[in-house]
Amino acid sequence: MNCETGRLLTETNDPAFAEHALSCPSCLIGMHARYYEAPAGLERKIRQSLRQESSAASPWRWMAIAASLLLAASGVWNIALLRSRVDPRQLIAANVLSAHVRSLAGTHLLDVPSSDQHTVKPWFNGKLDFAPPVKDLEGFPLLGGRLEYIDGRPAAALIYGRAKHTINLFIWPSQTPSSETARILNGYNQLNWSSDGMAFWAVSDLNETELRQFVSLYRRNQAQ
Amino acid sequence: MNPARKQALFERTVLPHLNAAFNLARWLTRDSHDAEDLVQEAFLRAFRSFETFQGNNADDSRAWLLAVVRNTCFTWLRKKGGQPTLEFDEQVHGGADESPNAESILLNQAALGSLQDCLEALPLEFREAIILRDLEELSYKEIADIARVPAGTVMSRLARGRKRLKECLAGGLR
Repeated sequence: MNCETGRLLTETNDPAFAEHALSCPSCLIGMHARYYEAPAGLERKIRQSLRQESSAASPWRWMAIAASLLLAASGVWNIALLRSRVDPRQLIAANVLSAHVRSLAGTHLLDVPSSDQHTVKPWFNGKLDFAPPVKDLEGFPLLGGRLEYIDGRPAAALIYGRAKHTINLFIWPSQTPSSETARILNGYNQLNWSSDGMAFWAVSDLNETELRQFVSLYRRNQAQ
Repeated sequence: MNPARKQALFERTVLPHLNAAFNLARWLTRDSHDAEDLVQEAFLRAFRSFETFQGNNADDSRAWLLAVVRNTCFTWLRKKGGQPTLEFDEQVHGGADESPNAESILLNQAALGSLQDCLEALPLEFREAIILRDLEELSYKEIADIARVPAGTVMSRLARGRKRLKECLAGGLR
Protein backbone atom coordinates (compact mmCIF):
# COMPACT_ATOMS: atom_id res chain seq x y z
CA MET A 1 0.00 0.00 0.00
CA ASN A 2 1.33 3.42 -0.83
CA CYS A 3 0.39 6.83 0.41
CA GLU A 4 -2.06 7.48 -2.38
CA THR A 5 -3.97 4.34 -1.47
CA GLY A 6 -3.88 5.43 2.13
CA ARG A 7 -5.34 8.77 1.14
CA LEU A 8 -8.19 7.13 -0.75
CA LEU A 9 -8.87 4.82 2.16
CA THR A 10 -8.99 7.61 4.66
CA GLU A 11 -11.27 9.63 2.43
CA THR A 12 -13.67 6.70 2.29
CA ASN A 13 -13.22 6.24 6.03
CA ASP A 14 -12.01 2.69 5.54
CA PRO A 15 -10.57 1.18 8.71
CA ALA A 16 -7.92 -0.43 6.54
CA PHE A 17 -6.20 2.92 6.54
CA ALA A 18 -5.39 2.53 10.20
CA GLU A 19 -3.31 -0.44 9.36
CA HIS A 20 -1.60 1.41 6.58
CA ALA A 21 -1.06 4.44 8.76
CA LEU A 22 0.96 2.49 11.23
CA SER A 23 2.97 0.78 8.58
CA CYS A 24 3.56 4.15 6.96
CA PRO A 25 3.67 6.91 9.57
CA SER A 26 5.17 9.22 7.04
CA CYS A 27 1.91 9.07 5.08
CA LEU A 28 0.04 9.70 8.26
CA ILE A 29 2.12 12.75 9.00
CA GLY A 30 2.06 14.01 5.44
CA MET A 31 -1.70 13.82 5.36
CA HIS A 32 -2.73 14.45 8.90
CA ALA A 33 -0.08 16.30 10.79
CA ARG A 34 -0.98 19.90 10.99
CA TYR A 35 0.77 22.24 8.62
CA TYR A 36 1.08 25.54 10.42
CA GLU A 37 0.63 28.46 8.12
CA ALA A 38 2.22 31.75 9.03
CA PRO A 39 -0.19 34.00 10.94
CA ALA A 40 -1.67 36.94 9.11
CA GLY A 41 0.47 40.03 9.47
CA LEU A 42 3.74 38.16 9.88
CA GLU A 43 4.71 38.77 6.27
CA ARG A 44 4.02 42.49 6.66
CA LYS A 45 6.15 42.60 9.83
CA ILE A 46 8.98 40.85 8.05
CA ARG A 47 8.82 43.15 5.05
CA GLN A 48 8.93 46.10 7.41
CA SER A 49 11.94 44.83 9.31
CA LEU A 50 13.70 44.07 6.02
CA ARG A 51 13.06 47.62 4.88
CA GLN A 52 14.50 48.99 8.10
CA GLU A 53 17.50 46.72 7.83
CA SER A 54 17.92 47.67 4.20
CA SER A 55 17.80 51.40 4.80
CA ALA A 56 20.02 51.04 7.85
CA ALA A 57 22.61 49.45 5.60
CA SER A 58 22.13 51.95 2.80
CA PRO A 59 25.06 53.80 1.25
CA TRP A 60 24.08 56.90 3.22
CA ARG A 61 24.87 55.14 6.42
CA TRP A 62 28.20 53.98 5.05
CA MET A 63 28.85 57.51 3.89
CA ALA A 64 28.03 58.82 7.34
CA ILE A 65 30.34 56.25 8.88
CA ALA A 66 33.07 57.10 6.38
CA ALA A 67 32.61 60.80 7.02
CA SER A 68 32.85 60.41 10.77
CA LEU A 69 35.90 58.19 10.42
CA LEU A 70 37.48 60.79 8.19
CA LEU A 71 36.68 63.48 10.70
CA ALA A 72 38.19 61.45 13.52
CA ALA A 73 41.26 60.70 11.42
CA SER A 74 41.74 64.34 10.53
CA GLY A 75 41.40 65.23 14.21
CA VAL A 76 44.10 62.74 15.11
CA TRP A 77 46.20 63.99 12.21
CA ASN A 78 45.85 67.59 13.35
CA ILE A 79 46.83 66.73 16.88
CA ALA A 80 49.78 64.78 15.54
CA LEU A 81 50.72 67.79 13.39
CA LEU A 82 50.46 70.12 16.36
CA ARG A 83 52.62 67.85 18.44
CA SER A 84 55.22 67.21 15.83
CA ARG A 85 55.05 70.76 14.61
CA VAL A 86 58.37 72.12 13.54
CA ASP A 87 59.94 74.59 15.87
CA PRO A 88 58.72 78.00 14.64
CA ARG A 89 62.34 79.09 14.64
CA GLN A 90 63.06 76.58 11.91
CA LEU A 91 60.50 78.36 9.78
CA ILE A 92 62.00 81.76 10.57
CA ALA A 93 65.46 80.40 9.83
CA ALA A 94 64.26 79.26 6.42
CA ASN A 95 62.60 82.65 5.87
CA VAL A 96 65.74 84.48 6.83
CA LEU A 97 67.87 82.33 4.57
CA SER A 98 65.53 82.94 1.61
CA ALA A 99 65.56 86.68 2.20
CA HIS A 100 69.34 86.66 2.40
CA VAL A 101 69.83 84.61 -0.76
CA ARG A 102 67.23 86.65 -2.63
CA SER A 103 68.94 89.90 -1.64
CA LEU A 104 72.21 88.65 -3.11
CA ALA A 105 70.75 87.00 -6.19
CA GLY A 106 69.01 90.06 -7.54
CA THR A 107 69.84 93.70 -7.75
CA HIS A 108 67.80 94.57 -4.74
CA LEU A 109 70.28 94.38 -1.90
CA LEU A 110 69.83 97.95 -0.72
CA ASP A 111 66.88 100.32 -0.52
CA VAL A 112 69.02 102.92 1.13
CA PRO A 113 72.66 102.62 0.19
CA SER A 114 74.56 104.45 2.88
CA SER A 115 77.37 103.74 5.26
CA ASP A 116 76.04 106.41 7.57
CA GLN A 117 73.89 105.04 10.36
CA HIS A 118 72.30 108.50 10.68
CA THR A 119 71.08 108.22 7.13
CA VAL A 120 69.96 104.64 7.33
CA LYS A 121 68.09 104.79 10.63
CA PRO A 122 65.80 107.72 9.71
CA TRP A 123 65.10 106.07 6.38
CA PHE A 124 63.10 103.39 8.21
CA ASN A 125 60.91 106.03 9.88
CA GLY A 126 57.42 105.84 8.51
CA LYS A 127 58.22 102.56 6.79
CA LEU A 128 58.22 100.47 9.99
CA ASP A 129 56.30 100.69 13.24
CA PHE A 130 59.51 100.22 15.20
CA ALA A 131 62.98 101.79 15.22
CA PRO A 132 65.72 99.27 14.48
CA PRO A 133 69.04 100.00 16.17
CA VAL A 134 71.41 100.90 13.34
CA LYS A 135 75.09 100.87 14.23
CA ASP A 136 78.17 101.35 12.15
CA LEU A 137 80.71 98.76 13.14
CA GLU A 138 84.45 98.72 12.88
CA GLY A 139 85.60 95.97 10.57
CA PHE A 140 82.05 95.39 9.40
CA PRO A 141 81.15 98.44 7.36
CA LEU A 142 77.47 99.33 7.12
CA LEU A 143 76.38 99.21 3.49
CA GLY A 144 72.79 100.30 3.86
CA GLY A 145 69.28 99.22 4.69
CA ARG A 146 66.37 97.48 3.06
CA LEU A 147 62.75 96.67 3.87
CA GLU A 148 62.01 92.98 4.27
CA TYR A 149 59.10 90.82 5.07
CA ILE A 150 59.89 87.98 7.47
CA ASP A 151 57.62 85.62 9.40
CA GLY A 152 54.50 87.37 8.24
CA ARG A 153 55.48 90.92 9.15
CA PRO A 154 57.69 93.81 7.93
CA ALA A 155 61.26 93.69 9.10
CA ALA A 156 64.31 95.88 8.80
CA ALA A 157 67.33 94.50 7.00
CA LEU A 158 70.69 96.06 7.75
CA ILE A 159 73.45 95.13 5.36
CA TYR A 160 77.04 94.92 6.50
CA GLY A 161 80.13 93.93 4.59
CA ARG A 162 83.14 91.92 5.61
CA ALA A 163 85.78 91.64 2.90
CA LYS A 164 83.76 90.20 0.00
CA HIS A 165 81.07 88.76 2.28
CA THR A 166 77.71 90.26 2.93
CA ILE A 167 75.86 90.08 6.21
CA ASN A 168 72.11 90.60 6.39
CA LEU A 169 70.88 91.52 9.85
CA PHE A 170 67.10 91.22 10.07
CA ILE A 171 65.29 92.98 12.88
CA TRP A 172 61.64 92.94 13.84
CA PRO A 173 59.63 93.33 17.04
CA SER A 174 59.12 90.07 18.88
CA GLN A 175 57.97 89.16 22.36
CA THR A 176 59.64 85.75 22.18
CA PRO A 177 62.85 85.93 24.20
CA SER A 178 65.77 84.10 22.74
CA SER A 179 69.35 83.66 23.82
CA GLU A 180 72.06 83.78 21.19
CA THR A 181 71.68 80.71 19.00
CA ALA A 182 73.81 79.68 16.04
CA ARG A 183 72.77 77.41 13.22
CA ILE A 184 73.88 76.49 9.75
CA LEU A 185 71.31 76.27 6.99
CA ASN A 186 72.33 75.36 3.44
CA GLY A 187 75.90 76.32 4.28
CA TYR A 188 74.97 79.78 5.53
CA ASN A 189 75.65 80.67 9.11
CA GLN A 190 72.89 82.17 11.14
CA LEU A 191 72.93 83.74 14.57
CA ASN A 192 69.84 84.96 16.30
CA TRP A 193 69.07 86.56 19.63
CA SER A 194 66.54 88.89 21.13
CA SER A 195 66.88 92.15 22.95
CA ASP A 196 64.69 95.10 23.88
CA GLY A 197 61.56 93.37 22.49
CA MET A 198 63.13 92.76 19.10
CA ALA A 199 64.34 89.69 17.30
CA PHE A 200 67.71 89.86 15.57
CA TRP A 201 68.79 87.39 12.90
CA ALA A 202 72.19 87.70 11.30
CA VAL A 203 72.89 85.57 8.27
CA SER A 204 75.95 85.37 6.06
CA ASP A 205 78.28 83.09 4.16
CA LEU A 206 80.87 84.34 6.62
CA ASN A 207 82.36 81.69 8.91
CA GLU A 208 80.77 81.30 12.29
CA THR A 209 83.67 82.81 14.26
CA GLU A 210 83.58 86.04 12.29
CA LEU A 211 79.81 86.14 12.36
CA ARG A 212 80.00 85.82 16.15
CA GLN A 213 82.53 88.68 16.19
CA PHE A 214 80.11 90.75 14.18
CA VAL A 215 77.25 89.95 16.51
CA SER A 216 79.14 90.69 19.71
CA LEU A 217 80.39 93.94 18.23
CA TYR A 218 76.87 94.92 17.19
CA ARG A 219 75.43 94.01 20.58
CA ARG A 220 78.18 95.97 22.41
CA ASN A 221 77.42 98.99 20.29
CA GLN A 222 73.69 98.55 20.78
CA ALA A 223 74.16 98.51 24.54
CA GLN A 224 76.07 101.77 24.52
CA MET B 1 24.48 44.62 -4.32
CA ASN B 2 22.43 47.77 -4.09
CA PRO B 3 20.17 47.57 -1.00
CA ALA B 4 16.92 48.15 -2.87
CA ARG B 5 17.76 45.44 -5.40
CA LYS B 6 18.88 43.06 -2.70
CA GLN B 7 15.62 43.56 -0.83
CA ALA B 8 13.53 43.07 -3.95
CA LEU B 9 15.41 39.89 -4.87
CA PHE B 10 15.13 38.57 -1.32
CA GLU B 11 11.40 39.23 -1.20
CA ARG B 12 10.98 37.47 -4.53
CA THR B 13 13.06 34.38 -3.79
CA VAL B 14 13.02 33.84 -0.02
CA LEU B 15 9.90 35.47 1.38
CA PRO B 16 7.52 33.10 -0.50
CA HIS B 17 8.73 30.31 1.82
CA LEU B 18 7.30 32.05 4.84
CA ASN B 19 4.77 29.29 5.51
CA ALA B 20 7.42 26.58 5.42
CA ALA B 21 9.56 28.66 7.76
CA PHE B 22 6.71 29.19 10.17
CA ASN B 23 5.63 25.56 10.05
CA LEU B 24 9.11 24.36 10.91
CA ALA B 25 9.57 26.93 13.67
CA ARG B 26 6.17 26.06 15.12
CA TRP B 27 6.90 22.35 15.13
CA LEU B 28 10.33 22.83 16.65
CA THR B 29 9.25 25.29 19.35
CA ARG B 30 5.72 23.92 19.85
CA ASP B 31 4.53 27.47 20.43
CA SER B 32 3.05 29.90 17.91
CA HIS B 33 4.25 33.09 19.59
CA ASP B 34 7.80 31.86 19.91
CA ALA B 35 7.67 30.62 16.33
CA GLU B 36 6.52 34.01 15.08
CA ASP B 37 9.36 35.83 16.85
CA LEU B 38 11.94 33.32 15.72
CA VAL B 39 10.77 33.39 12.12
CA GLN B 40 11.13 37.17 12.08
CA GLU B 41 14.59 36.86 13.51
CA ALA B 42 15.48 34.12 11.04
CA PHE B 43 14.34 36.25 8.09
CA LEU B 44 16.52 39.11 9.25
CA ARG B 45 19.48 36.77 9.63
CA ALA B 46 18.84 35.30 6.22
CA PHE B 47 18.59 38.77 4.71
CA ARG B 48 21.89 39.81 6.25
CA SER B 49 23.68 36.79 4.85
CA PHE B 50 21.73 36.73 1.59
CA GLU B 51 24.95 37.45 -0.32
CA THR B 52 26.20 34.00 0.66
CA PHE B 53 23.17 32.25 -0.85
CA GLN B 54 24.34 30.43 -3.97
CA GLY B 55 21.21 28.59 -5.09
CA ASN B 56 19.23 29.32 -8.19
CA ASN B 57 15.82 27.75 -7.73
CA ALA B 58 12.92 27.76 -5.31
CA ASP B 59 13.91 24.44 -3.70
CA ASP B 60 17.38 25.79 -2.96
CA SER B 61 16.09 28.99 -1.44
CA ARG B 62 13.55 27.09 0.64
CA ALA B 63 16.17 24.68 2.00
CA TRP B 64 18.52 27.60 2.64
CA LEU B 65 15.86 29.54 4.53
CA LEU B 66 14.82 26.46 6.52
CA ALA B 67 18.43 25.95 7.57
CA VAL B 68 18.50 29.51 8.94
CA VAL B 69 15.15 28.99 10.68
CA ARG B 70 16.32 25.69 12.11
CA ASN B 71 19.53 27.21 13.48
CA THR B 72 17.70 30.20 14.90
CA CYS B 73 15.26 27.89 16.66
CA PHE B 74 17.92 25.50 17.94
CA THR B 75 20.00 28.35 19.32
CA TRP B 76 16.95 29.74 21.08
CA LEU B 77 15.81 26.34 22.37
CA ARG B 78 19.23 25.52 23.72
CA LYS B 79 19.38 28.83 25.52
CA LYS B 80 15.92 28.27 26.89
CA GLY B 81 16.40 24.62 27.75
CA GLY B 82 13.55 22.26 28.59
CA GLN B 83 13.26 20.36 25.30
CA PRO B 84 14.25 16.71 25.36
CA THR B 85 17.58 16.37 23.62
CA LEU B 86 18.65 13.54 21.42
CA GLU B 87 21.71 12.76 23.52
CA PHE B 88 19.46 11.99 26.42
CA ASP B 89 17.14 10.07 24.17
CA GLU B 90 19.85 8.01 22.56
CA GLN B 91 21.32 7.06 25.89
CA VAL B 92 18.08 6.01 27.47
CA HIS B 93 16.00 4.80 24.58
CA GLY B 94 18.60 3.38 22.23
CA GLY B 95 17.30 -0.18 22.79
CA ALA B 96 14.49 -2.48 21.80
CA ASP B 97 12.06 -2.01 18.96
CA GLU B 98 8.65 -3.52 19.56
CA SER B 99 6.15 -2.66 16.83
CA PRO B 100 2.65 -2.00 18.07
CA ASN B 101 -0.04 -4.29 16.94
CA ALA B 102 -1.46 -2.66 13.83
CA GLU B 103 -4.68 -4.57 13.92
CA SER B 104 -5.65 -3.17 17.26
CA ILE B 105 -5.72 0.39 16.03
CA LEU B 106 -8.52 2.33 14.44
CA LEU B 107 -7.80 5.71 13.06
CA ASN B 108 -10.20 8.37 14.23
CA GLN B 109 -10.31 11.94 15.44
CA ALA B 110 -8.76 10.93 18.72
CA ALA B 111 -5.95 9.29 16.84
CA LEU B 112 -5.33 12.45 14.84
CA GLY B 113 -5.32 14.44 18.05
CA SER B 114 -2.78 12.14 19.54
CA LEU B 115 -0.74 12.30 16.34
CA GLN B 116 -0.21 15.97 17.15
CA ASP B 117 0.71 15.17 20.75
CA CYS B 118 2.94 12.30 19.79
CA LEU B 119 4.80 14.37 17.23
CA GLU B 120 5.32 17.15 19.70
CA ALA B 121 6.55 14.69 22.28
CA LEU B 122 9.30 13.44 19.99
CA PRO B 123 12.85 14.52 20.74
CA LEU B 124 13.72 17.68 18.87
CA GLU B 125 16.06 16.07 16.35
CA PHE B 126 13.56 13.33 15.45
CA ARG B 127 10.78 15.86 15.13
CA GLU B 128 12.96 18.05 12.97
CA ALA B 129 13.80 15.20 10.61
CA ILE B 130 10.19 14.06 10.35
CA ILE B 131 8.79 17.55 9.74
CA LEU B 132 11.38 18.32 7.08
CA ARG B 133 10.88 14.96 5.39
CA ASP B 134 7.18 14.28 5.70
CA LEU B 135 5.74 17.79 5.75
CA GLU B 136 8.28 19.74 3.73
CA GLU B 137 9.24 16.76 1.60
CA LEU B 138 12.89 17.66 1.53
CA SER B 139 15.44 15.10 0.36
CA TYR B 140 17.71 13.29 2.80
CA LYS B 141 20.60 15.31 1.53
CA GLU B 142 18.81 18.61 2.06
CA ILE B 143 17.85 17.58 5.57
CA ALA B 144 21.42 16.45 6.25
CA ASP B 145 22.69 19.87 5.13
CA ILE B 146 20.17 21.69 7.28
CA ALA B 147 20.77 19.59 10.39
CA ARG B 148 24.51 19.42 9.69
CA VAL B 149 24.68 15.65 10.10
CA PRO B 150 25.44 12.86 7.59
CA ALA B 151 22.55 11.61 5.47
CA GLY B 152 22.82 8.25 7.25
CA THR B 153 22.08 9.95 10.54
CA VAL B 154 19.04 11.61 8.98
CA MET B 155 17.74 8.22 7.86
CA SER B 156 18.30 6.68 11.23
CA ARG B 157 16.63 9.61 12.99
CA LEU B 158 13.66 9.31 10.64
CA ALA B 159 13.35 5.58 11.23
CA ARG B 160 13.63 5.87 14.96
CA GLY B 161 11.38 8.90 15.09
CA ARG B 162 8.67 7.14 13.13
CA LYS B 163 9.02 4.06 15.25
CA ARG B 164 8.55 6.09 18.40
CA LEU B 165 5.64 7.84 16.83
CA LYS B 166 4.00 4.48 16.17
CA GLU B 167 4.64 3.44 19.73
CA CYS B 168 3.19 6.65 21.01
CA LEU B 169 0.11 6.39 18.79
CA ALA B 170 -0.44 2.77 19.72
CA GLY B 171 -0.03 3.59 23.40
CA GLY B 172 -2.46 6.48 23.19
CA LEU B 173 -5.08 4.44 21.39
CA ARG B 174 -4.81 1.27 23.29
